[in-house]
Order: sequence, then structure tokens, then C-alpha cells
Amino acid sequence: MNRWLRRLVLNIAGFGMLAALILTGGCARSTDKTLYIFNWTYYTPDSVIQKFEKEYGVKVVYDTFASNEEMFAKLKAGGSSYDITFPSGDYVSIMKKENMLEKIDRSKLKNFANIDPEVLKLCDFDPGNEYSVPYYLGAAGVAVNTTKVQNYEKSWSIFERKDLANRMIMLDDMREVMGDALKYLGYSVNTTDQAQIDQARDLINNVWKPNLLKFDAEAFAKSFAAGEVWVAQGYAESIFAEVDKSRWGEVDFFIPKEGGPSYLDSMVILKNAKHKDLAYLFIDFIHRPEIYAEFCDYFGFPSTVNVPARALKKGEMWYRPEDLTACELKKDVGADLEKYNAAWQVIRVGK
Amino acid sequence: MKQRAGFLYTLPQILWLLVFFLAPLCIIIAYSFLKKGLYGGVEPQFSLEAYQAMANPSILMVAWRTLRISVIATILTILIALPCGYSIARSSNQAIRLFLVIVPFWTNFLVRIYAWIAILGNEGFINDIIRWVAPGSAGIQFLYNQWAVVLVLVYMYLPYAILPLFSTIDKFDFTLLDAARDLGATRFQSYTRVLLPNIRSGLVTAGLFTFVPIFGAYAVPLLIGGKDSYMLGNIIADQLTKTRNWPLASAISMTVTLSTTILVFLVALRKPKEQKWVFDADPSAAMSAAGGR
Repeated sequence: MNRWLRRLVLNIAGFGMLAALILTGGCARSTDKTLYIFNWTYYTPDSVIQKFEKEYGVKVVYDTFASNEEMFAKLKAGGSSYDITFPSGDYVSIMKKENMLEKIDRSKLKNFANIDPEVLKLCDFDPGNEYSVPYYLGAAGVAVNTTKVQNYEKSWSIFERKDLANRMIMLDDMREVMGDALKYLGYSVNTTDQAQIDQARDLINNVWKPNLLKFDAEAFAKSFAAGEVWVAQGYAESIFAEVDKSRWGEVDFFIPKEGGPSYLDSMVILKNAKHKDLAYLFIDFIHRPEIYAEFCDYFGFPSTVNVPARALKKGEMWYRPEDLTACELKKDVGADLEKYNAAWQVIRVGK
Repeated sequence: MKQRAGFLYTLPQILWLLVFFLAPLCIIIAYSFLKKGLYGGVEPQFSLEAYQAMANPSILMVAWRTLRISVIATILTILIALPCGYSIARSSNQAIRLFLVIVPFWTNFLVRIYAWIAILGNEGFINDIIRWVAPGSAGIQFLYNQWAVVLVLVYMYLPYAILPLFSTIDKFDFTLLDAARDLGATRFQSYTRVLLPNIRSGLVTAGLFTFVPIFGAYAVPLLIGGKDSYMLGNIIADQLTKTRNWPLASAISMTVTLSTTILVFLVALRKPKEQKWVFDADPSAAMSAAGGR
């Protein structure tokens, strides 16, 4: 009896502790000197983060996501205490509509003036940039392993080449790949015309897909770096993060001449952010010309957004700003996304 | 008094299951019957759209493919695990052999998947040898198809089948095999007609332990599979993270959970039959017999 009672007490005590842990666990990690960043994989160099931490004597927690949808789903699910995130244009408008963003106080951002007015004109997803600060304008392109493939045209038609069958890969990203096909056919990447979407679907499904090894948004850069594939549609920063620096000369990265969907990613402060002051400091820090140049150099990006940084850039660029002129910004297509979903499902399910 | 104490002891376990299993399951059920939000999430409005969308031929095709891959992989796993379990049970250094089966578990499963790419990839170890033997050949593409997915799934879940098979075979009275031979059975017959019926519970456990996780596989088809290897696990993830259709993801999850649960129940229910011919080798039965104070 006595033993029984003791065990019972112990059980209850143990359980109480567990419950306390669950209840307090959620808020235990917030500290005033820590900035929580939720960013794309490979998007802000560690050196920039370290400089920011050092200059302001703060700590940065940097978590990553692989797609806008993933970022949005995680933030919507509410289990996060992030301060800044980096949505693409379509998601800025979605998050704005969903009332998830903090209005930007421009007076706290003296480096906002460094942003190219031409880029600001593109921000019709957030007119007047009330809620977002442009981070980077770019586009996915095609990386070619030139030790294996020498003669090729800088066009999406490279995916029609049967001699490269099973050595080519495209992103498992509906809007990107559909956008490439739509541009190749001469349509808008934001079309909602069913006939045009069907035509793009058939082009991918019947002409491109038979030559592809697979659709892959997670490991495409690793596959390319390991030589599993010779032609990869994807993001330059992912490709060059995986390919060893000594072999960069073997890689040709180009934006196909037909253009494709481009993206304009912005920095936004989340409405429930606990460290808004740090968030402002960080955004302003990024747009310092020397810091922005360091960011671009690290990834081989052209300085598409920050004007004074262009003169400070030293490194190689994988593509030039003018390569983006044929590209078109991806926009939120709202409920018409179902048309894309249906087309993509046909492509992905396969035989 | 004693009765009530027993209940109290199981209380933490019951609460654990309620909070971390039943409650999330209820959320999934609820979500599957709601209208999908335009940008992910759900609208608080009853809808059967998700279940109607599941009847889509492409989803049914993926379900059929998933079932086929799971059945083939499970059968192959058991066929390989059976002799393994048998040899471990009969060996004199069981501990070392069991240890060797468990060691791969210490490595992260993603690393083990990438190891297969390093071995069988287009630029992998085997293809290096092929190109060395036959210079100028393009090599063989082993990966990025359904058979590669089956191969790696069998590899991943083999220990889950070996361990329960070992534990039942270990309890098997091997003199019964000699008795069968004395009574005129061939060596093969002694295995099929005496050993197999007696280790049935181990076979069932091994089958469930491999089939159920394989049916929900996600990472292996994603990394090892190609254009033809899209499975239910991948559809669920994509509906949630890419196409923003949470109710559909929930409905598919529900159907998968429900059908595997029904499968487990069916298997559990039909066990008592023929039991009188079988010398009880069920570890759980043995345990409860020993544990009843």
C-alpha cells in the first residue's frame, strides 16, 4: 500500500513536470538580443550574418525553407517566433492579404534609398512598398556541365535533346517549370488561359519529360555536382554552393533566351515579431552597399537591386542583369492556381 | 484496489497516446472534411471535396503503384529476412550477429540513402568499374526507377523484419525439425510444414513492420526514384507544401491510416485459427504469461 502510494505520487509529479515543460517550452526561447530569421536555403552568406552579429552584439537564429509554400504553411501553422522572412512577390501579396505582415517604417531604413527605382516599379504585389523591402531580383536558369556537353543552344529547347536523355533534371516546382514552357511557347508565365496551360503541359509531358531523369527541387544541385546529371534547370546559388570552387570553370549557367519566370524576393517583418528593432537594423544592414556587394559576390549574383553596390562588386557573375529582360515576374494567380495544379499532377504522376 | 492501481499505471501511456496520437489524428480527420483555404489552411465550412478529389484517376493510379511497390518490397524483405533470422537464431554468437543487424540504425537514414547513390549512381562506384572494364561505355543507369526504390526500401526495412523473425525462431524447438525428418519429411518439407507454421506470428509481425512504413514512404522515392516513382507519401507532402490543398492531404493521410489499421486488425483477428496445431511462440503472449504476478 505504502509503495503503491509512493509510486502514484512519483507518477503524478513526473507528469506534472512533463506538462509544465510542454506549456513553457513555446516561449522559453525568446531572448531580447536574438533575431529569428526564416530564409531560403543558400540565400544570405554566413559572413554577412556574422558581421551583423558582431557589429550589434546580437545573436541570429537562421532557419531555412525550400519553397514559398513551405514557408507560408509553417508560418500559418503558427508554431514559430520568426521576425523576418523572405517571400517572393506573389507571397508578399498573399501574406499582406492574410494580415501577417508589419507595416514598414521607412524612417528606420536610411539605406532604402540605395534600391534601384526600376526594381521598385516592379513591386506591384505591394504598391509603394508599404510592407516589403526588395532583397533580390533573379531567375532560375540552366546549368550545363561543359566537360560532358559542349554544343548546345542557350534555349529551353535543350530539354528536347534525346542525346542527353536521363542526364537532365528540372525542378519539382510547378510554377517554375510550367513558366519555362509557357515562355518557350510565347505566352505569359502568369497566364490563366486553359488552352495555353494545356499546351505547356503537353510540351513538358510529351517532349521534355521523356528526356529528364526526374523532377527534383531538393537534391538537384547535389546531383549536378556529383555528375549524375549534366544539365540542370535550377537556381545558380544552389548549383554553385554544391559544385566545388575548383570546378566552377566547368559550369556554364545561362538564362535561356526565351526568358522564364523571374522572382523578386523581399524582406518582410512579421506582424507578431518580438524583435522588430533588430529586424529593421538587419534590413538596413543588408542594403549597405558594401554588405550587399559581399552578398552578391558570394553567390555570383549581379547586383540587381542595390545601385551603389554595383560599383563595389568584384566577383564573377553567373548571369548579367540584362539576361533577365526576357523574363517575367511570377504573380499570384489566385484560384486559377487549380489549373496549374491539375496540369502538374498529370506531369508528376506519370506512367 | 489492485485493479485500480493497474489503471493508474497505464494512465501516463494513455494520456501520451491521447495527446500525441489521437488528438492529431482527430485534427487530420476534421481537416479532411473542411473546405480548402485559397492559400493553404482550411475554411471552417463542411465539404466533401477532398474525398471527391481523391477519386481522381491520377491519385488512384499512384495509390495502386504504392500498393504494388509496398507488396513487392515486403515480400522481398521477408524472403531475405527469413534465412537471416534463422541463421542468427541457430548461430553460437547471436549477440555479434544481432549487433551487426542493428549497427546501420546508428547512421542517419538520409545518409544511408545517399550511400546508395554513391554506390549505384550514374557516376557511382559500380559504374566506375563498368567504365573501367569497358572504356567508352556509358555505364548502366541503376537508379531513378521503381526497382531502385524497391531495392533501397528492402534495404532500409530489412532489420525491422529480421528482428521479430529472429525472436520467434529463437523460441522454436529445433528438435521438431529432426522429428519431422524422422517421420519421413524431406528437409524442405520440414521447413515449410513445421518451421513456418510455428513462426507465423513472427512472419505476421515482420510483414506489418515492413509493409506499413513502406506504404507511407516519402524520402526513398523522392531521392532514389525517378519520373515513375511518385508515391502516396509524396502526394501528401506536395498537397501540403506545394499545391496548398490541406484537406486533400488530410483525406489521403486518413485513407492510408485507416486502410493500414484495418489491415492490422484483419491480420490480428484471423490469428487464433489453427493455433492449436502451433506451439506457442508468440513473444507477447509469453511475456504476458510471465508478467502476470
